[in-house]
Amino acid sequence: MRIEEFKIGQEILYSGKLIVMRDQAHKRLKDMVEKGEELPVDLMGAVVFYAGPAKTPPGRPIGAIGPTTSARMDDYLEMLFRLGVIATVGKGKRTGKAIEACKKWKRVYFVAPSGTAAALAKRVKRARLIAFEDLGPEAIYELEVEDFPLLVAIDSLGNSVFGE
Amino acid sequence: MIQRRVVLDKLKEELVKANVRLNEEVKRIVAEYEGPFSDVIKENYIISEKECLPLCQDTGILEFFVFLGHEVVLEEPIEKTLNSAVEEVYVAYPFRYSIVSDPVFERVNTHNNTPVVVHVFQVEGKKLEIRFLVKGGGSENLSTLHMMNPSAGASEIKDFVVEFVKEHGAKACPPLHIGVGIGGTADKALVLSKLALTKDFSERHPDPRYAELEEEILRTVNLLGIGYQGLGHGITAYSVHVEHFPTHIATLPVAVSVDCYLCRKGKIVFED
Ligand code: SF4
Repeated sequence: MRIEEFKIGQEILYSGKLIVMRDQAHKRLKDMVEKGEELPVDLMGAVVFYAGPAKTPPGRPIGAIGPTTSARMDDYLEMLFRLGVIATVGKGKRTGKAIEACKKWKRVYFVAPSGTAAALAKRVKRARLIAFEDLGPEAIYELEVEDFPLLVAIDSLGNSVFGE
Repeated sequence: MIQRRVVLDKLKEELVKANVRLNEEVKRIVAEYEGPFSDVIKENYIISEKECLPLCQDTGILEFFVFLGHEVVLEEPIEKTLNSAVEEVYVAYPFRYSIVSDPVFERVNTHNNTPVVVHVFQVEGKKLEIRFLVKGGGSENLSTLHMMNPSAGASEIKDFVVEFVKEHGAKACPPLHIGVGIGGTADKALVLSKLALTKDFSERHPDPRYAELEEEILRTVNLLGIGYQGLGHGITAYSVHVEHFPTHIATLPVAVSVDCYLCRKGKIVFED
């Protein structure tokens, strides 16, 4: 399915890769971009998931995981799109700035259900630490997920399920 | 004397339970929900309980309310026991460490989810009652305080609470439990609003005027249509509780705290 075909309110089950990163990782990437340094993660075509997992229990790929508030990452959204990110996943309403960015770059924003971290962890098949290990739950991870529930919250035309 | 070990063991058990087992009142309501993500929401509490995984990855900051009978003798300050219990549970279970050491400068993770926040109230008698909230960052960020005009009445208080929920409610994973603290001083009102969140949904204020205020706020909030996950389906709030205290002639502090849809909490009583 092409990004432009998603419409707000639509629910999908996503199978594929997610790049997990939140506040601190965004801040570090921004610093690196500004200094012209090589980034530790390739975001071309990536779907970024704003999340920070709990501890991984033995024998599992990852611990309980779920979306965190996306609006906190709105100032970094344009940077992500410029680096090739095609969609973001998080929770909650975003600012006008994020809606504008989605429209301008023809990108979408999905919400994942919050407070359902045990059920979401079961849909993660593999997880790999990619960068910033020292940040603990705020490090960058790559997940392979199966049937991960998402709902289109901002579409590529700049419509938002949460209104303006 | 109430033995440290006894408090510690019981408390640890309750802390684990609050994080992996959805409370029964919430379960009954959530089971009825039909709408976006309803399957995952219902699947979540079954998996979390079966596999001992936390209901939410944000396993919170712990806030305790201790009602300490004046005849109770303890082996150590209660705060120490509470911190030990949280540390032991959060290190042993697959929960998240969400506490940073300094709020402004280092913000370094303490790697054991302590320290906890403790409020001690001295009461008469031989009982030790401990209530706690597992407070996620998302719901905690919705706390607010408004020093209202002392001539404001119940309907202005209601409007303030409803407006606040309308503006911010979607951010704290609704349906919400809403706690309102009225009177005292600024800080007292905030503590009361938190204390209100330790109540069961079905409890109503013994004073019929306050009970009516609770019901009126709930009814109006539920007309906002924020719904589960802020997506517009189902109820917006489970329950509203008001706690109040006498206040200064020139003040009317009103504080609002909310708990997210998981309402992770506990209550334990020991007798000396
Ligand atoms: S507010 Fe949401 S994300 Fe935070 S603890 Fe509650 S359910 Fe989890």
